[in-house]
Amino acid sequence: MLGAIHTKALSRGAYFKSRCFRRYVSTQTPLELDSTARDENYADLNYMYTDMFAGSDVKSPVVGTGGKEGLSEIDQLNAEISETYDFTAQPLSGHELEQVVRSAGRFILKSLSNNPYYNLALEDYVFLNTPVPKEGLFSSERLLFYVNDRCVVIGKNQNPWRELFLDECSKKGYEFVRRKSGGGAVVHDLGNVNYSYLTSRDLFRREYFNKQIMNWLVHAFPSASIGLSPRGDINLDNKKVSGSAFKVAKGKSYHHGTMLVNADLASFSGLLKPDFLKGIEWSGGSVESVRSRVTNLSQMGIGNTDTFVDICTEGFKYLMNENMPVYWADESYTRNAQICETISHLKSDEWLYDSGPNFTVSFNGHTINVEKGIIKDSTISEGIGSHFRDFVSLLRKNKHFKTDIEI
Amino acid sequence: MIRTCAQSTLRASSRLSAISPRLFLRAQSSNALTKTQPPFTFSKSGPSSVKYTSQHEWIAAHQDGTAFVGITKYAADALGDATYIELPEADSELEAGDSLGSVESVKSASEVYQPLAGTVLEGNESLNDTPQLINEDPMGEGWIAKVRLNDLADMNGEELMSLEQYEESLKEDH
Repeated sequence: MLGAIHTKALSRGAYFKSRCFRRYVSTQTPLELDSTARDENYADLNYMYTDMFAGSDVKSPVVGTGGKEGLSEIDQLNAEISETYDFTAQPLSGHELEQVVRSAGRFILKSLSNNPYYNLALEDYVFLNTPVPKEGLFSSERLLFYVNDRCVVIGKNQNPWRELFLDECSKKGYEFVRRKSGGGAVVHDLGNVNYSYLTSRDLFRREYFNKQIMNWLVHAFPSASIGLSPRGDINLDNKKVSGSAFKVAKGKSYHHGTMLVNADLASFSGLLKPDFLKGIEWSGGSVESVRSRVTNLSQMGIGNTDTFVDICTEGFKYLMNENMPVYWADESYTRNAQICETISHLKSDEWLYDSGPNFTVSFNGHTINVEKGIIKDSTISEGIGSHFRDFVSLLRKNKHFKTDIEI
Repeated sequence: MIRTCAQSTLRASSRLSAISPRLFLRAQSSNALTKTQPPFTFSKSGPSSVKYTSQHEWIAAHQDGTAFVGITKYAADALGDATYIELPEADSELEAGDSLGSVESVKSASEVYQPLAGTVLEGNESLNDTPQLINEDPMGEGWIAKVRLNDLADMNGEELMSLEQYEESLKEDH
């Protein structure tokens, strides 16, 4: 807990400094001169210090922060620090977010929201709006952290019916989400934290960032049995604690991953479908998930997601050799039109159900062919032309015929 | 890999002074169009122009305004084994820079962009069953879309690179 507070204090300091380029001096004398100190013998010395701290070269802040402009800078800094220790993170406004994202430079962004749609939209916003220089080196690496409430997330090119027990997910309160990156299905809850490392397309190396995380974890917990799987995933005691997916577009790339810290793994069972289910067969181009045994980082002594975030925050600053700013995002405050549009898109049935690859499903002697979410061809003629998602809900109500197969 | 190739090509060509380094590079480059597949053989005389984008797409245009678009060998190698190709729908009208499709490979979804304004005639359906074609022959059989360009003259636009310029840009980046 102390560790967490310490890092947040650091983060706030960096945030403050980078935004305002302030000097940590006050326009007022920092210490009260008592009567003995006013002794004329010491006058020169005392006034020298007074001048030093409150000289004419001390300018008012370059950028004011609302409501604090009347305060001296030291007082403002103190106010910031006390805010930090009370800990209420001060998130960026939508406008401030736009400014920092569109400007070149590295930063860390932590989301205070647990809404998966918001967090994915925020990530997408940062990804799409980070500048890529036409010439010269890319120096706008960004690292995001967010924790989603209960949800099951599939890759861009997956089939939700093939991957998930959708009914069970909804019964247990796990939201169904489709992300824009590739890869397979994963389950999130508040004990899982997501990291997202953004860099240029040219610098994209699939295994790079997980190697860094592994190094930081090993550094913090030398005795833990941490390693990378052949697929580049982070393992603890040969069980998977983290899953990765990637996106490459517009000269940029991101690697985002899940990190199970103290997730409720027992309740994850029964949400993701196994490779094969008796009586039903899927074919088509969809990307399949690779099933793995999973465990939590809590097994090695990392008790909560904040600790993992703090380790990575410090590691990333060290890696980039830069005390970069740490910003905060809040769902109700750090938003703009583009983020809202992406949220609506991610929530739409078109994206969730209709956007995956075309597929064919066979069960009980029937075959259904689906293109862009619509049944193109089927041995159950009533279904042709309708959305497969609507057909499935009719099937659940046994409107067409009795089946004990769950699609 | 590409750098080594280019360097050794240059070394070789300096010995073989009769062959211009440029021609030699074109013959050797893995980012040159495959000559036995539709992007090349669509018209008898072959494409009138082949260009490259900074996003690692190639576009091969034929005299009648038909063009093929795909991703370069360099990009395909960097992405790794393709597992799914998202193809564009026929009749979509796309501007330069619009998303044409995407390639999923080893958990990464990579967008492919339309290099020049035009209308999609068809996506390469053989990629549905055999996405590996993207890795095996990205400059030929693994073409992604066939499009009708709005204006063939766009092929001369400054945004597009020749094979030599593209190879040069790869050396700068890596």
